[in-house]
Amino acid sequence: MKANPAIKIFGLVIAFVLVAPTIIVVATAFTESSIITFPPKGFSFRWFEEVLTSRQWIEALQNSLITGAIAAVLAVVVGISLAMAAARGTAIPRTGLTTFALMPMLVPLVVIAIGVYLAFVQIGFYGNVFALGVAHSILGIPFVFINVLAALTNLDPRVEEAARASGASYPITLLRITVPQILPSAFVGGLFAFIASWDEVVVAIFLVTPGFKTIPVMIWSQVREGLEPSTSAVSTVLTVVTLVVFGIVALLNARKSKRTATS
Amino acid sequence: MTSSPVVTAPAAPRRRRFERPNFWTLAGLPGIVYLIAVFGIPLVFIVVRSLTDPSPANYAAVVEDPLYSASLWRTVQIAFLVTVLSLAIGYPLAYAMARSGKRLAMVLGAALLLSFWTSLLVRTFAWQVILNNTGLVNQFLLGTGIIDEPIPLIRNLFAVLVGMVHILIPYAVLAIYASLRGIKPEVEQAAQSLGASPWRVFTRVTLPLSLPGVAAGGILVFVLSLGFYITPALLGGPGDILISQSVVLQVQQYLQPGMGAAMAVVLVALVLLVFVIATRFIGLGRILGVTGAPGGESR
Repeated sequence: MKANPAIKIFGLVIAFVLVAPTIIVVATAFTESSIITFPPKGFSFRWFEEVLTSRQWIEALQNSLITGAIAAVLAVVVGISLAMAAARGTAIPRTGLTTFALMPMLVPLVVIAIGVYLAFVQIGFYGNVFALGVAHSILGIPFVFINVLAALTNLDPRVEEAARASGASYPITLLRITVPQILPSAFVGGLFAFIASWDEVVVAIFLVTPGFKTIPVMIWSQVREGLEPSTSAVSTVLTVVTLVVFGIVALLNARKSKRTATS
Repeated sequence: MTSSPVVTAPAAPRRRRFERPNFWTLAGLPGIVYLIAVFGIPLVFIVVRSLTDPSPANYAAVVEDPLYSASLWRTVQIAFLVTVLSLAIGYPLAYAMARSGKRLAMVLGAALLLSFWTSLLVRTFAWQVILNNTGLVNQFLLGTGIIDEPIPLIRNLFAVLVGMVHILIPYAVLAIYASLRGIKPEVEQAAQSLGASPWRVFTRVTLPLSLPGVAAGGILVFVLSLGFYITPALLGGPGDILISQSVVLQVQQYLQPGMGAAMAVVLVALVLLVFVIATRFIGLGRILGVTGAPGGESR
């Protein structure tokens, strides 16, 4: 049954309100004036220039990228490991393991943040990309786990049986047969894990130091002081990177569904 | 040690009490150990801290001290309000997406995803820009002469509601959309051909069949609302602090980590309680939108 025109119009209005904030931030980044106005006055790359030539912002950008990469790699390895036990393991109940792996999605971010803060500061593990990468990996694990679990359930068990029957040991089968087949799904999960770290503030606030900051933390401290066009410019960079990564995910998913449709 | 290993495995088909861990369980061990170390242990730290710094009396304070209990109660109220608003606004959008031509559905879906994929921090910043005294809305109202002085749209509950609902609507829409897409068109057609008016088809057939999606989306939005920090911190006033803000304030500003830890435990308990109750009726996967293959129906 088709929706009637009134609902379609309402839907369009809501859709517009949903995207308006994103558009406004991007638009205000190109202003010529030194305060945020809408519609923006003139058009310039002034604020992008200011951000991209500032040592502080460049360092924050590097920190964010490296932290995200560390978080993603850790989440991929741990997510694959957990998914294998959940999909085929014995001795540990599957629902228990699944709930455990999804737990980081259920526990509020603030709680993870102060938990990690209390624990990591105890051992002096903070203020660098590794500490924040490890902390952020927690947030990415569920994404990898979900993706890999689905992939493992869809695998043809006969391929592995064939490898085993041909004399391959379990570890060799895992590395040469299973992992290559689930790697595309794990990669998509890893991209999600990267983004989960890339725009994360709450956990980061607790683990940063004056000498080590990430992009979202810098934005966070800036917006608490006042509204500046440079914040819009950084926000635009942040958003574009996120959109590119999700674009890759969408492309990979489209390719995957095309492949399954033709096979 | 007392068991006799020579006894052969019981032939009974029912499940044995203890299964031997197979190779795949072993492959899962590194992951389990890692997640316990970096996620489980910090949670234990919170619980220990809440009980020992200085004493379990922290919990009494959470309940009795009006300062803390008010923020807890306010959080629940706001979460409820945000949930109702997100569902009420999200349902028609999900319906329009699920029940219109390919082009409109694509436009709506793209808008939804663009919003969904913009960082929460950036969207909150955007609402600051829009609702500020010198912001978009006030500029417009002043320019048209409707008001003479900027009206305070920010640093209050109104702004918090706007920001939170804006951020959480996509979760509601995706859950409702998935359940609407799952309804077979034949069911609605049957009702229609039997003489039901479009409104009757909706209220008697479509709406009831989509309720699991509404419930799943509602629970997710409610639980996410309970833990919101960034949006209330940037858009809310100093007088209406939510529980997550209290947690951070206690740990960062007042240097009372034990108190903050106790409130964090209460917050987690509240969230888990909602999940435990909810999962008696709906699967966890459905609430989190992970049923089926990812990249499938819930995109």
